[in-house]
Amino acid sequence: MAIPTARLLARLVADDLLPPAQAAAIADDERTRPFSLHYELRALLYVGSVLLVGGLGVLIYENRDSLGQEAITALIALLMVASFTYAARHRPAFTWGEAPRTRIAADYLLLLGCLLFLVLEGYVQYAYGVFGTRYGLVTLLPAVLFFALAYRYDHRGVLSMAVTALAAWVGVSVAPLAVFQNTDYLQAILSRPALGLGLALVAAGLASERWQRKAHFAYTYLLLGSNLALLSATSLFFERTGLAAVSCWLLVLGICAGLVWYARRTQSYLFLLLAVGYSYVVGTVGLYRLLQAGQLEDLLFGLGALYFPLTLGALVLFFVKIKKILRLK
Amino acid sequence: MSWYAYPLAWAENDALRQAARRWQRRGLLTAAQQVAIEAAYPMGYERPILFLRVGLFIASLFGIGSLAGMAGTLTGFDVSPILYSILIIIGCLVGLELVIKNFRHYRSGLDNALLYCALLAWGFLVAYGLRDVLSDSLGNPALWLWLLPVLLVLLAALLRYADPIVAAATFVIALSLLANGLLQSSAGRLLLPFAVLAASGALLLALRRLPARADYFYYRSAGLVLRTLGLATLYLAGNYLVVREGNAELLGGGSPSAEIPLAFLFWAFTAGIPLLYIMLGLRRHDRLLLSMGLLALAFSLFTLRTYHSLLPPAVASAIGGALLLAVALAALRYLRTPRHGLTAAADEDAEPHFKLETLLTAQTAHAPAAPEAGFQFGGGHSGGGGAEGQF
Repeated sequence: MAIPTARLLARLVADDLLPPAQAAAIADDERTRPFSLHYELRALLYVGSVLLVGGLGVLIYENRDSLGQEAITALIALLMVASFTYAARHRPAFTWGEAPRTRIAADYLLLLGCLLFLVLEGYVQYAYGVFGTRYGLVTLLPAVLFFALAYRYDHRGVLSMAVTALAAWVGVSVAPLAVFQNTDYLQAILSRPALGLGLALVAAGLASERWQRKAHFAYTYLLLGSNLALLSATSLFFERTGLAAVSCWLLVLGICAGLVWYARRTQSYLFLLLAVGYSYVVGTVGLYRLLQAGQLEDLLFGLGALYFPLTLGALVLFFVKIKKILRLK
Repeated sequence: MSWYAYPLAWAENDALRQAARRWQRRGLLTAAQQVAIEAAYPMGYERPILFLRVGLFIASLFGIGSLAGMAGTLTGFDVSPILYSILIIIGCLVGLELVIKNFRHYRSGLDNALLYCALLAWGFLVAYGLRDVLSDSLGNPALWLWLLPVLLVLLAALLRYADPIVAAATFVIALSLLANGLLQSSAGRLLLPFAVLAASGALLLALRRLPARADYFYYRSAGLVLRTLGLATLYLAGNYLVVREGNAELLGGGSPSAEIPLAFLFWAFTAGIPLLYIMLGLRRHDRLLLSMGLLALAFSLFTLRTYHSLLPPAVASAIGGALLLAVALAALRYLRTPRHGLTAAADEDAEPHFKLETLLTAQTAHAPAAPEAGFQFGGGHSGGGGAEGQF
């Protein structure tokens, strides 16, 4: 047996917190317990499937001329139907609460079916041009389907996909990396619909909690929604001037205040971190622009030397004393 | 003043509470016993939940930076950088000790930031002193003048603060010093892989003595980091691809790289070490060894394909994937009932190293505060973010 376990047990026995017989039983269990390969084997299964599907995908793509479009469409559709059928056979009974997990494989196959739906949709559009130029329909269709599936099968992963499809429909991607890949993202044309969608998602999250309709979906809605709203409001703030900039500034700070309120209520610290980060950056830039507008740039240099140490020091103190300040549990 | 920056009891109480939680989940302790153990070994320090730790760390780093910037602005950057970094080092270290002593912070983000800033300032100070002789090449004959003082200070910091990231930095600097010494001659360049092999092996052997030490729990996380890195370099130093391409790089590049002497030996290491890791991992029930072995095996296959491609990539991927699926499914079926001390069933104890689902849905709710009598610790739903106990 490992030395540390023996030492821990000896300590517990010496401090009279554990009868010696029980300590011996625990030591025995530690020594004879089989070693679980559960997660390793599941990881191997996962890697194996990815390699197999990836290899087959490339092979099909390379031989697409000899295979024919019909065969490929039929193959993808068959796989999709098989995945959905398995998931449907093991579906949980519908409830507005959190449904008990029936089978892990059903969860994964539902996700796979949704992914295959996207592949199929993309392929029939590429091969046959089914949707023509109605691109809105191409993105709205998966969004509607995924929302329905997420609620029926009680699946948060599918819900995230539905929100992403909805965002694609609105013209943006909620995926965090899109900010770096897609420079169009930061253009104001997209920012306002994105802001609207973000706020709508936040509202949906709060509503689902308020009326206990899939209350556990609130986290997904709020995380994706608040990120989208904050990002688009921030980018609007950087582009606009005058009254529009001021209102965006206030909007960011308002959303952050709302997040702090929510974090306090639900003990979700990720929201707290988001709120502090956004409000510090946007608040500081806002202050700078205010001084600039008032022709007080000369003040800035002197102020900067003091402003940052003082505010960052206050921020450190805020984090250290956070439990007291926000009266968290 | 004690040699340890933090009281030893903090780490040991953590280990006791974690063990009690694990045993209770497995039904080896009653709930009442576990509650008694949690009460007897309280968390005596401040460590906020992960997201707050990240926030505190970032705010502290920027705070220290801005303080330094303010000092620079106020003096008009006239003071010598040497005095400047000495001030930062002293300020950070004093702040660090005060934060630990008065606010009982233990890897809360704040003490990490102070420690790293002090060490970075030391690295800068030595580099500034040597600015005329240093270049960024690993073979520079003067580089050891920077590496040695930095290594000594890192070692001291590692022994005192037992910080995992400092442990990683110490490892990297020590390895660089070894490489720098050997690269001074062409015989040394040829010996480099063997020297790294020997050094990693020596480190792994030394780490085996750690659990017997009284201060094991204090150094546990740092030791884990060192063991992971030691296993990685032990494998990589023998890997054919790393040795061949590294050798070509040191000789001034040029592709395709030239064949290396003793190639058969390195091919043997490439094939043998992953299998050895996996075998030992399974026999000793050592999850780290097993995981490193699987990763090493993947890299060995990549090495093989780099120099000998037998099949087109798509075919190889499909066949390999199918084989892997078959092996994993067969193993799942074979181990449904435990055999040879192995099982395919999920173990309460076998925390996966990377839970994707938890990361995605990131339930940030943390473990409840001091439990009431009769409170059932069932299910272990919130997993404990490490922030429970009294405030």
